[in-house]
Amino acid sequence: MSIFSNPFDSKLRLRCSCGQHVSAAEHEASQISSSELSDRSSEALNARVVEQAVMRAVFPQDDMRRRFLQAVGAPAALAAVSAIFPMAFAKEAFAQGGKLEKTNLKVGFIPITCATPIIMADPMGFYKKQGLNVEVVKTAGWAVVRDKALNKEYDAAHMLSPMPLAISMGAGASPTPYTVPAIENINGQAITLAVKHKGKRNPKDWKGFKFAVPFDYSMHNYLLRYYLAENGIDPDRDVQIRVVPPPEMVANLRADNIDGFLAPDPVNQRAVYDGVGFIHILSKELWDGHPCCAFAASKEFMTANPNTYSALLRAIVEATAYAQKAENRKEIAAAIHTPNYLNQPLTVVEQVLTGTYADGLGNVKKVPDRIGFDPMPWESFAVWIMTQMQRWGQVKGDVDYQKIAQEVFLTTDARRAMEQAGLAVPAAGSKKIVVMGKVFDANKPKEYLNSFAIKRV
Amino acid sequence: MHNFLQVQGLRKTFPGLNGAEDLVVFDDVNFTIDRGEFVCIIGHSGCGKTTILNVLAGLEVPTDGHSFIDGREISGPSLDRGVVFQAHALMPWMTVRGNIAFAVRSKWPDWSREKVDAHVQQYIDMVHLTGSEDKKPSQLSGGMKQRVGIARAFAIQPKMLLLDEPFGALDALTRGNIQDELVTIVRGTQQTVFMITHDVDEAILLSDKIFLMSNGPRAVLAEIVTNPLPKDRTRATMHHDPKFYEVRNHLIDFLVHRSKTYAAAA
Amino acid sequence: MVNERGRAVILSVLIFAIFVMFWQIATMPTQGAQIVDEEYAKLVGAAAATGQKSTFPGPLDVGAKLVEHLSDPFYDRGANDKGIGIQLAWSVSRVALGFGLAALVAIPLGFLIGMSRLFFQALDPFIQVLKPISPLAWMPLALFTLKDSNVSAVFVIFICSIWPMLINTAFGVASVRKEWIDVTRTLEVSPLRKAWFVILPAAAPTIMTGMRISIGIAWLVIVAAEMLVGGTGIGYFVWNEWNNLSIANILVAVLMIGLIGMLLDMCFARLQKAVTYRD
Repeated sequence: MSIFSNPFDSKLRLRCSCGQHVSAAEHEASQISSSELSDRSSEALNARVVEQAVMRAVFPQDDMRRRFLQAVGAPAALAAVSAIFPMAFAKEAFAQGGKLEKTNLKVGFIPITCATPIIMADPMGFYKKQGLNVEVVKTAGWAVVRDKALNKEYDAAHMLSPMPLAISMGAGASPTPYTVPAIENINGQAITLAVKHKGKRNPKDWKGFKFAVPFDYSMHNYLLRYYLAENGIDPDRDVQIRVVPPPEMVANLRADNIDGFLAPDPVNQRAVYDGVGFIHILSKELWDGHPCCAFAASKEFMTANPNTYSALLRAIVEATAYAQKAENRKEIAAAIHTPNYLNQPLTVVEQVLTGTYADGLGNVKKVPDRIGFDPMPWESFAVWIMTQMQRWGQVKGDVDYQKIAQEVFLTTDARRAMEQAGLAVPAAGSKKIVVMGKVFDANKPKEYLNSFAIKRV
Repeated sequence: MHNFLQVQGLRKTFPGLNGAEDLVVFDDVNFTIDRGEFVCIIGHSGCGKTTILNVLAGLEVPTDGHSFIDGREISGPSLDRGVVFQAHALMPWMTVRGNIAFAVRSKWPDWSREKVDAHVQQYIDMVHLTGSEDKKPSQLSGGMKQRVGIARAFAIQPKMLLLDEPFGALDALTRGNIQDELVTIVRGTQQTVFMITHDVDEAILLSDKIFLMSNGPRAVLAEIVTNPLPKDRTRATMHHDPKFYEVRNHLIDFLVHRSKTYAAAA
Repeated sequence: MVNERGRAVILSVLIFAIFVMFWQIATMPTQGAQIVDEEYAKLVGAAAATGQKSTFPGPLDVGAKLVEHLSDPFYDRGANDKGIGIQLAWSVSRVALGFGLAALVAIPLGFLIGMSRLFFQALDPFIQVLKPISPLAWMPLALFTLKDSNVSAVFVIFICSIWPMLINTAFGVASVRKEWIDVTRTLEVSPLRKAWFVILPAAAPTIMTGMRISIGIAWLVIVAAEMLVGGTGIGYFVWNEWNNLSIANILVAVLMIGLIGMLLDMCFARLQKAVTYRD
């Protein structure tokens, strides 16, 4: 289900069950249909976002929510929840926002297709529509994004999903509370290998290979390691994994410094375009619906400028919704490929966004959801990321998964309001994720961690 | 009446290396100079002539002894005592005019531009360098540079002039010309002068008294010779005076023989 | 009748022409047959369609890009896409600021060190330790403490370009000829007049040499710093073109970097000539 679904429908599962589907048809059915989007005005969509957020906070366990609705019915449920949380006020606040505290904002981004909603909101007017004058600033690397976000040169930034977790936990920097009110994209990565390896498609043959990932705290790193480990390759002992900035990945591949990489697009498509590599596997084939990049803002910014924050989030949410529609993808590619944004040839960006692409081995493939845009920051994403951070020794000691996930990946006033009203706040929901055929239960992170043969704990 | 310049018990030593005995350059030097006198000091290298001049200039401190000028003890350099250095020491980034003006402004900082310029021009003319005011030292010959040095020292109108072998680096012809000029200037200004030289003829031409230093180490002021020749002597004619060769031989004999044995004899 | 200068020019042009010729030959595209179908070929670059890797650009490509950039050097198509003229202006202004601040600190401090043995011995260890630190090491420190990336870039230029000026000033001041100092003593010149009229002009050629070295370092550092931090400047321009793997554009940028560096050095060479005196 998507963020735009009706939370007062007891038959709807709010928690995404992507990955549990065994057939493409069921998966397709659970994706937002374009009709759903086109029927709704943006105001109605925003209202849905607020309702969902509140309901999710009140009922972290999706089963509980559905049972509650079945028991009392939607209208009563709405009344009950509104008694605790001023839904109308929130909707109005979210939809209109109060007077903007700050209209000139700087949002940093890295020039990859993951940041499409952030980028496209500039040339396509989504920021302006909210009364915001946003300068999207191209940044040299993830460390610089982090530094400029922490020192407040950026009001908000495009970050890799694990980064706000790491920043809040203080891994690699002094702890600063960061939040992820929206995920930028799902899927959209790939493992690309050098052309000379086209005969070596079985990962078991990859001992001694050198791989590159964009950053240590990234889905790319975790997915690559997961893929290698599942095929019996120890990512620290049997291969080398290096951190390389995405623009240098293609050059390194060409120079034979690395054998392959798991990188965000358009790097993979660019390697194909330059005749240097081929796409071995899309990340969507490892974990369909995995998060990649996030839109992150500091807690300080949110609390100091609530109206601005809401307006910014609205702009991103609208841009995300627009980007999800297949018929808009070509228009978006034309808007964001220019030197001011991605600075890539148009055809490269088009191939990534439309999913009709050359795979580097002479075939033209059609995978329309090669990259997806769904902004819901599921808490279980955060928990999965943290298990992998522990698995590979990036975070040591005992981690309070639920606490951090709640604080970073989903922050709503409702949750706080519930605590203040003395109501029990249940543990985070048992949403299921399936990675390479293996189920992940967000309620049992320690067991998941211990179930792996290859780990550094 | 106290003399204009008085030097008492002057002594200079350098500490011995590695526990050796101290090196005594000169010891127990006493002399006086009257106002308007021109004194030359002659001696072989190493007798400490330059050191004595530096002490008088205030640039060096003696190990022992005192010197007084006009009743006041000499304790450091002063505009009262103008110095012409052996290697002209002109500032190469300043023009001729600039070099002299720098000195003039040091003495009279309140003078107006015009006054300084006029004063400087006067001394440039005096050393016959008119026309070269705006040249840099690198554009001048050795003799011209030395003239600028002299002009600079005279321009501040010091009580006393100290010259350290000012013509040592010049050829005989140029030296002769400048000597004549110096004679004219000094006679015109009645300047008190203390000059170091190696040239016996120069000493006879220029000075009223000649100090003779024995050889170092442990040099002493061996003799003070009064110049017997008349005050209006000229370079061209003085060698015709019978007393010329008398005093000349005396000086040369000293330098060749007695300077060495003086210490032994004393 | 060609004089010596003319002959040197002709030789330079000849060397350049030979170099360009070799470059053209080395980067000539090898004719390959298209080995993929039409639909695929439309989706990939020209080289990939013939089964080869994309190549290093030839001199004509670079020349074309050069003309393109120079014909419209001041365009502004957004925060991340500005003409090469604007980028160079940003870089030069950062250099001017950082270098200027460095000079303001280095020359007085150099005077102090040159004139006082006590200060020389006290400050020397710090100078020797700080001098060899690379700008790429200073950058993260600066970003962390100073936070603003513009200020950090200027600071990194400051801290890297200060050393040659400082050391040369100290050396020049300490090496002023004793006889000139003696002249000032006999003329009872005040310390301020002495510093301004004698020591400064005497040490000026050495100081100027230090400044000339420093400006070279500053220009080097700014390109590296901007590549690290991004935003505006010629270093950012290079990084942005690197993102697009546009080697031709990078070469254009490299050429401009070299030319500006040369111009800066020429300026300082002129200044150096002005303060040099023949002794």
